[in-house]
Parts: sequence; C-alpha cells; structure tokens
Amino acid sequence: MFDRVTEVFSLVLGALALGYLVYEIDRRQRKLHDIWNVLDGEDAILTASLEDMVESGELQPYAGATLA
Amino acid sequence: MGLADTQDAATAAQPPPPSNSPESDVPALPMHAGRVPSIGGGVPSGASRFRIFIVDSGWNSAARKVLLENFALIRDLQKEDPIYVLSREKSIEFMRRHGSRIGRDPIIAVHDMQALQKGGTAGFHGFRLSLGLLRTPHQALMGLQAFARFLVTNRQSGDLEADIRALLRREGLTGAIEIAMHHEAREIGE
Repeated sequence: MFDRVTEVFSLVLGALALGYLVYEIDRRQRKLHDIWNVLDGEDAILTASLEDMVESGELQPYAGATLA
Repeated sequence: MGLADTQDAATAAQPPPPSNSPESDVPALPMHAGRVPSIGGGVPSGASRFRIFIVDSGWNSAARKVLLENFALIRDLQKEDPIYVLSREKSIEFMRRHGSRIGRDPIIAVHDMQALQKGGTAGFHGFRLSLGLLRTPHQALMGLQAFARFLVTNRQSGDLEADIRALLRREGLTGAIEIAMHHEAREIGE
C-alpha cells in the first residue's frame, strides 16, 4: 500500500515537473518571439515607410564612430 | 535629446550638444565629423546586405542607456551596413502611427536587402529587435550582443529566415536545459 502511494506521488511530481518545463519553454519562446520579430508581410507598411525615408534622402546613414 | 537627433548630425557635422538635456539623463550619441559616402538614396558604396534602423522615442530606460553606451561598438562591428537613426521627433511620429510598438523601443529593425530585392515586403525581409522589452541592463546588453553576433555571423547567409528561426529555437531549448539544470536564467528574453 505504502509503495503504491509513493509510486503515485512520484508520478504526480514527475508530471508536474514536466508540465512546468513545457510551460517554461513555451513562455520563453513567446517572450523571445516578442523581442525578436521576423519581418514579413504584416510589417510591409512599416518597412516601406522606412525605406521611403532612405530613398528620399530624409534618412542618412549615421556615421558616428565613438562615444565621447 | 533623442537617440538621434543625431540624424541631422549626419549631415551637419556639428559639435556634440550637451548631454544633460531636460528630457533625459541619458547622454546623447555623439555627433560625428563626417558622412558615409553615399549613392542614390544614401546607401553607402559597396553592397550592403542589411540596412539597420534604430527607432527610439526617448524613454529613460535601461535598454536605451545600454544602447547609447554600446552604440560605437555596434557601429564598428557593423561597418559594412548603413545604420539609420531616426530622430526623436521621427521616432515619436513613428510610434504614434504604430501605437502597438510604444514601450518596445529602442527598436532595431534590420532590413535584409537581398530578400527585399527578391521578394519585396510581402514575404520575409528582415527582423526586428525590441530592445525596450528587456528591462535590466544585463538583459539589454545580452540582447545587443546577440544581435551583433547574429548579424556578423550570418552576413553571407543564404536563408536568413531559417537562421533566425533556428536561433530562436536554440535559445528556447538552451533556456529549458538551464531550467532543468537549475542554472540561473540567462538572458535575452529572460
């Protein structure tokens, strides 16, 4: 009887640990994707507006080399 | 002063303004003495794989401080690619137009010119680092380092999109392994 309880308890603990790991991986992946975005069709307008600024000469390459 | 009220500096070559502006105690980026030789719309001569844009509306954040303190190094590491720094006014205007981005800046957007020339803006054409989401100086620094490392090591990449996705997968897995081994959380996103 005692062995059985221990076995179930271990199983539950293992499942919880695994669940936490999966949850944590998912949470980190989401956060990473929030910080690092791939630019695609959804960003087309944004990209175009920046590129337009460059093409029109409104934006020039920054050439600063060092901090004071 | 905004991260790049410096944009105008690119053309004016004036001495640096005082860094203790009322808007922020973060020092401004230095004005520079010269211009990058440009062709047409301001693209430096030679083939640049990337165009890098920095949008910063001026939040007094740890990420901004780290960016300012390390900008020179980033600049030196990315010599082959032009960096366009939007002025504070332009950045604010940008944020007003794209409200969901507020609080995520400084944002570093990298346009992959190779992908843009091939497929325009409809498909993959670069990536964006929302540095402002990294709350501590350590996180922001690691984010910047990862950014610089990724650009330098993937400059010749034939499939940048796959490389980015691989990086994200790898970071996620590394984090998981660290959790399993009870290490301190590393990082970029943590």
